[in-house]
Amino acid sequence: MKGKLGVLVACFGLLGSGAGLVAHHSFSTEYDGAKTFKLKGAVSKVEWTNPHVRFYVDVVDQGGKVTTWNMEIASPSALARNGWTSRTLKVGDQVSVEGYAAKVAPNRGNVRSVITADGRSLFAGAADDNAPGGAPQ
Amino acid sequence: MRKLLIVAALVAVTAPLVAQQGGRGRGNQPPLGPVGALGQEVASRVPPPTGPAPRLPDGTIDLNGVWNGGGPVNSIAQGLPKGETLPLLPKSKEIMADRATRETDDPHLWCMPMGVPRSTPYPFRFVQNYTHKAPTHMFIVHEGNIHSFRQIFMDGRKHPAELDPTWFGHSIGWFDNKDTLVIDTVGFNDKFWFDRQGTPHTEQLHTIERWTRVNEGTLRNEVTIDDPGAFSRPFTVTFNARLAAPGDEIMEYICQENNQYGIAGGHKNPFGN
Repeated sequence: MKGKLGVLVACFGLLGSGAGLVAHHSFSTEYDGAKTFKLKGAVSKVEWTNPHVRFYVDVVDQGGKVTTWNMEIASPSALARNGWTSRTLKVGDQVSVEGYAAKVAPNRGNVRSVITADGRSLFAGAADDNAPGGAPQ
Repeated sequence: MRKLLIVAALVAVTAPLVAQQGGRGRGNQPPLGPVGALGQEVASRVPPPTGPAPRLPDGTIDLNGVWNGGGPVNSIAQGLPKGETLPLLPKSKEIMADRATRETDDPHLWCMPMGVPRSTPYPFRFVQNYTHKAPTHMFIVHEGNIHSFRQIFMDGRKHPAELDPTWFGHSIGWFDNKDTLVIDTVGFNDKFWFDRQGTPHTEQLHTIERWTRVNEGTLRNEVTIDDPGAFSRPFTVTFNARLAAPGDEIMEYICQENNQYGIAGGHKNPFGN
């Protein structure tokens, strides 16, 4: 009972949280700054590609059904400038992912945080508009 | 109470994987912090050097280096002197009002070029070609968007009388008093947007860029925009580029490779591919 009430309260909190967002241009047309997700699963594919690196996470629900999430992160060049390589995330890695869900398409996310099973936190960026090499003028 | 339980159960059923976080964000930020694909944010770096700008052996300003910034992002009007506004013709205001309703049509989101003077936030560098006698071309190598180059003729030629419109136009350039690289460009198409606001231009666009390395780490770009088809008078915007951290180089950015823009938000590609 307490848990369900908590879900409801969280839902109301959510409704209020999107107001007045100043969102990144392409972000706000694709993702909902108020619709967050948090899930765990195994990395099933990594696409080290432009304009965005993507990794795919297989999430297994309680009934054993597998849903694959398509996770968008930055460009390869921006990630490389932040110390990533194409081998940072590997197929089979168990990850806990937080982010914002897509506005329309199901099971797509814009990622804010990836934590691996061995406790590595893969993001530690400062808040800049999406500048690969620094704050744009 | 029963109703409450039903609503709560509905929420739980409709979002089994999406554990909503609830809580409000800080200030204007959404609950998980700044938006945008994470990792585009670059951890703080050493500030760019502020020593005197280097010069080539003949005294000409040395533009070497990888540069970030130097152009508009959100609005080209941000480069105007304080208090000024863009001298938009009524027709241009109408175009902007229309584009505000379809911001997802911004060409660069679909891997089309950003035109001139928009290249931020992608790094770029100048590459000069010359004979044993004199410079022949200057190229601006852009990491994005898209991974491309501009060609500037430095051999003293003039613009052709008639040009077919292109994304980067026809550019001629020269050094002004060895301190400033001047690039004069005509022959643009009218397809690219100056910024996220959809500030428009026409094929009559004529840009004059003045690139000055004001110190070792800062490159100033003063751009005069003259387009009688879109603005009531010429105006000048100024943007600064910052020298990239030592060791940083232009990297590959093939936007067309795996562009899934539009799927998450349900938007159609206005270019139809």
